[in-house]
Parts: sequence; structure tokens; C-alpha cells
Amino acid sequence: MKNVGRVTVSLLVLVVSPVGAQVIPTGPSLRAFLFGDIAYDETEGDSPGGFKVGQIVAHGSAILSDRVVLFGEMSLTARDNGYALEVERAILRYELSDAIKFSAGRYHTPVSYWNTAFHHGLWLQQSVGRPEAVRFGTPFVPIHFVGAMAEGRIPDSPVTYLVGIGNGRGENISRAGDAGDVNGSRAMVASASFQPSSLLGARIGGSIYVDDAPVESGAAADERIVSAHAVWDRGALEIIGEYIRVRHVPAGGGSTSTSDATFLHAGVRLPGRLRALTPYGRWEETNIADDDLVFTGQVSDYDAVLGGVRYDFSELAALKIEYRSEKVSGGEAIGSFIVQASFAIPMFGG
Amino acid sequence: MRKRPYSRRIALLVSVLGLWHLGATGAAAQEAGFAVAIVVHPETDVDDLTFSELRTIFRGERQFWDNGRRVTLLMRAPVAAEREMILRRIYQMDEAAFREYWIGKMFRAEVASGPKLVYSADMARDLVTVIPGAITFVPASEVSAVTKVVRIDGKLPTDPGYALR
Repeated sequence: MKNVGRVTVSLLVLVVSPVGAQVIPTGPSLRAFLFGDIAYDETEGDSPGGFKVGQIVAHGSAILSDRVVLFGEMSLTARDNGYALEVERAILRYELSDAIKFSAGRYHTPVSYWNTAFHHGLWLQQSVGRPEAVRFGTPFVPIHFVGAMAEGRIPDSPVTYLVGIGNGRGENISRAGDAGDVNGSRAMVASASFQPSSLLGARIGGSIYVDDAPVESGAAADERIVSAHAVWDRGALEIIGEYIRVRHVPAGGGSTSTSDATFLHAGVRLPGRLRALTPYGRWEETNIADDDLVFTGQVSDYDAVLGGVRYDFSELAALKIEYRSEKVSGGEAIGSFIVQASFAIPMFGG
Repeated sequence: MRKRPYSRRIALLVSVLGLWHLGATGAAAQEAGFAVAIVVHPETDVDDLTFSELRTIFRGERQFWDNGRRVTLLMRAPVAAEREMILRRIYQMDEAAFREYWIGKMFRAEVASGPKLVYSADMARDLVTVIPGAITFVPASEVSAVTKVVRIDGKLPTDPGYALR
């Protein structure tokens, strides 16, 4: 009897606790996070700079049953005329086992490690912004993907895989085909990564994405995107290196054009009393082919070097101070100084 | 002010160093004798895990047992010595990195929820026996007759060379 009482008290503590996830998985449960940021920037040249409210992001996950999980992510983005509401991710997943999980919905496309490791909450990443090649709104790669996926871990191995089929890019190539496939040609994506347990924190992987991309003239181009990444994320040190190559072949025939992007990001948390400080740096380069049918007028060559310091002044809030030097289309280098405060608020539900 | 003779200063320094040494070796002895037992729900069909398998379970990379039951990880709240050992040996992270790791995992939709917190060894021991698929850890000295202790690399907490000692 005494034991039954103790277990009952334990279960009650687990359910009402404000700190943990705390729900015994016997029925639907919900967990939510809120992310946000506010920044100030001063940029050389004509840019007005000033204060900017970044994205306010709500992320939730719900366990609907022992096998079915729902993930959602919505953002509010500040615009000149108000705020824009966007469904960033909405994924319904059936988890058969560690080896096979089926899902459908709107994802961040696994064409880049950064695109799937760091989503809309800037608190999670060391730097103020994403690399230009995977910036939200870039036409360089399809950031979002609407479709279905199968993913999992190959049993008794350090290999994870993911394959997906979806709508591909929308009429506006920087957006996903949310309301259907714009050209009737489904996009296919596949990625794999290798994370050896004997080398904790190391990861290498790559992906391939194939689709017919819409062209402004109304034609289409065969699009093939391949990427490779190497990551070290253990202890105080984080290093991310990525290479993304985009090839376009006009559907009606014509010359093949190849564009690529490379970036290398590194940051290290300082030891001892300075452990709240994380200096970081990044080098980026994007080269767009002159004759690229899809990117012409939409994406430019880009080079950047940036350095900054992240200061975690609270457990779930950080201040980042960053200096960037950027060159667009081989022009003059333009410097920017940015200060950003970002936060994460875990909101646990039952 | 009158200065102490050098001999007394040296004697004082030696005493302080001696006491510090005793404290350090005492703590080391305490650490050397402290072992953490990995405990699972009695109906979980697992008797032995490799350290590598244990790591994939605790890091949320393996979320299902072989019988298809979902793994429920019960994690002791901060400050407990057994939690510190698990963070150091299995996760190789400090508290801040551990928190960021699980928030990141949930945000990437890799897991639907993080570990469930428990606030005492009693609570961990009680809950692991009632939640199917649960796994947790308790000080080896607090293992009871009804708990199912899993061998790590073929060894129990009392065996020499046990990984979580």
C-alpha cells in the first residue's frame, strides 16, 4: 500500500512539474517552445539599418499516440506594413521503428545540414544569421519542401537516411509549392549521414535533390542539387563545413550551368569564468553561373567573412555582436555591425 | 607587526597542503567507489547493453526497444551525483550543453519530447517499474530487489571495470 502511494505521488509530481516533459506516454501530450529575437544593425552605404524585430517563432510537438507524432512551427515576421504569419513546418509522422518513420507535411528541405539543424529560432545557432546560401527566402536552394518522407537509422549502424517526394519549388522559386506542384513534375530528395558513436560529435553526410525548376519565361529546367557536409559539435567546439552545387539544364536543350556555394563556420565556447562567451567566425562564397536560366536576375555572386561573439547572459537568452564584410556580384566590400538578442522559452504542456 | 618565524610558516604551509591532499584523495576515493546502475522496466527484454548502445538510447538516437515499445528516458534532476556522472560519461556535456542538445533535438523534430525529470532515486526506481519501456539510472547502492539492472558491456555495477563507476 505504501508503495502504491509513493508511485502515485511520483506520477503526480511528474505530471505537474513545470520543468520536465513530464507526461507519461499514455495519451496525447503537447510540448511547445517560443523563440524570438531583436536586432540592431549599422551598415555602410545606403542601407538605413536600425532596430529590427526578428521572427517570433512558435514550435510545438504533440505525441498523439505511441506511434504518431505531430510537429508544427509557425512564424511571425516583421514587415513594413505589419507582420506576416507563415506555417514554416507542419509534419505528421508515423514512427514504425527507429529504422522506418513515415511522414507527410511541410519540411525544411534536407539539401543542407544547416537548413535542417537550425530552423527559425536564432537562439539555437551561434551566429546572428544563416549562411547566405541557405538564408530564408533565398532562391539558391529550395528551403521548404511539401511532400512525404521516409527516414530512419539503419539498424546497428551509425547511418541515418531520408528519402522524400514532393512538389518542389513554387512559381516563385524561393517558395515551396504549398498549394500543389506547379509543373506536375515531382521533386525527389535523398540524404544520408554518418555519425560514429566512437567519435561523438562528428558527422559527415550529403544529399541529392532532383526536380524540374520553373523558369520566369515559363519554361522549365532540369534541376539537380548535391551537397556535402562535415560537422564537429562536441564540448566547447562547433565546426560546420558545407558545399552545395546546383546544376540546371534547360528543358528545351541548351548549355548546362553549374553554380555552387561553400561555407565554413567555427565557434568555440571559452573555458572557466568566460564560458558564457563564444567567439565565432564564418567564411562564405557563392558563385552563380552567368548563363543560369533559373537564377538570372534572382541570385548573385556573394562573398562574406564575418566574426562575432555570442554571450549567453541567461540560460535561455543570448546576446550576439557580429561584424560582417560582404561583397555582392564582385562589388565593393560592405561592412555591417549587428547586435542581436535572442531567446528561447520552453512552454511545457500536459 | 611581528612576523612569524620561517619554520612556523613552513609548518603551516605543509599542514594546509596535507589537509588539501587528504581532502582530494578522499573525494577521489568517494568517486572511485560510486557507481551508477542502469535500470529498465521489468518487462523490457534487455539484460545487457553495450556502452555504445546505451549512449544511443540516452542521446535519443534510439527511441524503440527491439519489441517495438517506445523508450521512455527518466532523467534525474540537476545536482544529483548520478546525473553528473551520466552527463560526463555518456553525453560528454555540461548542463548548458545538455539543455541545448535536447531543445535542438525537439526543434529539429528528431524527438517529440525530451527526458522526463525525476527528483529522487526513489522516484526513478518507482517509475521505472510502472512505465513500460522506461529506462533510468540510480546509484548502485540504491538498487532494490524489484528493479531490473542492465549489464553494461557484460558487467554489473559491482564488477571490476564497470563503465559507470
